Amino acid sequence: MPGADKEADLTERIEAFLADLKRGGCGTGPIRGSGETARETTALLRKVTAQARWSSAGDLMEIIRKEGRRMTAAQPSETTVGNMVLRVLKIIREEYARSRGSSEETDQQESLHKLLTSGGLSDENFRQHYVHLKANVIEAINELLTELEGTTDNIAMQALEHIHSNEVIMTVGRSRTVEAFLKDAARKRKFHVIVAECAPFCQGHEMATNLSKASIETTVIADAAIFAVMSRVNKVIIGTQTVLANGGLRAVNGTHTVALAARHHSTPLIVCAPMFKLSPQVVITTVVRNRIILSKVNVHCPVFDYVPPELITLFISNIGGNAPSYIYRLMSELYHPEDHDL
Amino acid sequence: LDETQVRQDPEVPSAVAAIRTLLEFLKRDQSETILGLRENLTQTIRRLEEADSSVAVSSGGELFLRFISLTSLEHPDLSQCKKVMVERGELFLKKISLSRSKVAKLCHTFIKDGAKILTHSSSRVVLKVLESAAADKKRFTVYVTESQPDSAGQMADKLQNLNIPVTVVLDAAVGYIMEKVDLVIVGAEGVVESGGIINKIGTYQLAVCSKAHNKPFYVVAESFKFVRLYPLNQQDVPERFKYKADTLKAVEDLAEEHPMIDYTPPSLITLLFTDLGVLTPSAVSDELIKLYL
Repeated sequence: MPGADKEADLTERIEAFLADLKRGGCGTGPIRGSGETARETTALLRKVTAQARWSSAGDLMEIIRKEGRRMTAAQPSETTVGNMVLRVLKIIREEYARSRGSSEETDQQESLHKLLTSGGLSDENFRQHYVHLKANVIEAINELLTELEGTTDNIAMQALEHIHSNEVIMTVGRSRTVEAFLKDAARKRKFHVIVAECAPFCQGHEMATNLSKASIETTVIADAAIFAVMSRVNKVIIGTQTVLANGGLRAVNGTHTVALAARHHSTPLIVCAPMFKLSPQVVITTVVRNRIILSKVNVHCPVFDYVPPELITLFISNIGGNAPSYIYRLMSELYHPEDHDL
Repeated sequence: LDETQVRQDPEVPSAVAAIRTLLEFLKRDQSETILGLRENLTQTIRRLEEADSSVAVSSGGELFLRFISLTSLEHPDLSQCKKVMVERGELFLKKISLSRSKVAKLCHTFIKDGAKILTHSSSRVVLKVLESAAADKKRFTVYVTESQPDSAGQMADKLQNLNIPVTVVLDAAVGYIMEKVDLVIVGAEGVVESGGIINKIGTYQLAVCSKAHNKPFYVVAESFKFVRLYPLNQQDVPERFKYKADTLKAVEDLAEEHPMIDYTPPSLITLLFTDLGVLTPSAVSDELIKLYL
């Protein structure tokens, strides 16, 4: 039966995705970039919306939440998966509200205003059935996918405003976003880049090779030399794995060092991060990998660093530049507070 | 009416008691026009403030007045308006009675196992947070400041009843103890527009010390404590909040009196836990604007 075939195909794709996620996080660093993860997650959720059996928005949200929980459980350190699930849930809520005819304002988050004026305890259970809801939700998810595809280009387009000629820029490890950002600026300006190699995986080496292929003057330095070199640096531009709700970062190990050194020398710290990396979490548990190199010594090797928001000057995302203190606002526009704990 | 309410239930925050009183007053009020109603209410609020001059009563009163104006805009007919107001008022009271538990649910995840917490004076919200954390089987120790001039020994007793190890420290010993502590949690009597807080005297000191030692400084407050003030320094806080109501009436020269509260600027606060969610200090003014504009 064609219906059963499609369902089997869907579960197969989900299983394959989960297995891939589990593999992607271990070994020598993430194999896939977070952009691809975000796109694949969204495409998968679109397939779920199209093929799963649901009659009301509430059912669909339950299905998405269930799948979301499975996906985040497969690889908890890959927060983009969870973020995309939350985006889709918000899309469903918005389309439902639009179908009902109520303006988007009334279903917005808790506020003092809402406490005072709401007529009754809102038990929105999303039970109503609307004929066009499926089509609307799928269309909205397609828009989301287009947005995701354009994020790196949107960020790179802003490069010329921030990088000036003869500047010395420092970066840490390897970030595809920062690479595109710097390459775009290199088309019209001449500047130097210093890359911290970021031991023990030394992804900075790959970054330096790619940048020099684009004819940018690059220097690789060891992590220990970051503070020493910082006095000659004009700007620090870094990528990150996640942007937290309080404006802080969860970035590759070594970023906190760079941030503190930059603060000490009053060097601006710019973070290039697309919106899909914004996560509603505030507390993050450290991900650690232990390697036993000698039999009696235990090596503690944290993968990520927490960088507090006070050390960051500017966030450049696909929707423009923002201060860290504004992140809470962007988050309230992307996600609904009731979904924060999947 | 208010005195009896407050004495009946020491668990009820003063703002909630004020709002309950105002709602009762609303039910019994005989005025014919909205303007008359507003005037009577303003008078009542002033009388309540004379009885208890805390920031919370003032913010509760203003919130209620705002609530009246918003409702009266929707229903110009007075009798219908009153019915809606009373209904919504009851609902509002029910919602805010749940707010303390909402705050506790948000905050207790930030308390890790083995944490050492420093708190100031006696706050029922902080107590609820620590209660939820203890119920979650977390082990932690608490240091409470003595908080003169009306020492908050009650906080220590209540914590001991919950089987949480607690130590009372002198107000002057805050700097000494700060290096041992992992995080600081305080309540607030009022949250101002800038994202700063107004709380028992000694809180500012605590915040400066924790900033110097790089310890997170968390504030737990319900949303009805948001107040429309924007103090730039300690002197900007209005005199009527700084001293107890009896002192204001009795004493001529306030320069001789010790203030009971101080203002902590937002730059020293890490996060605010409210029933509207976990907010950074910059998000507070956003919430206030949504309400008042």
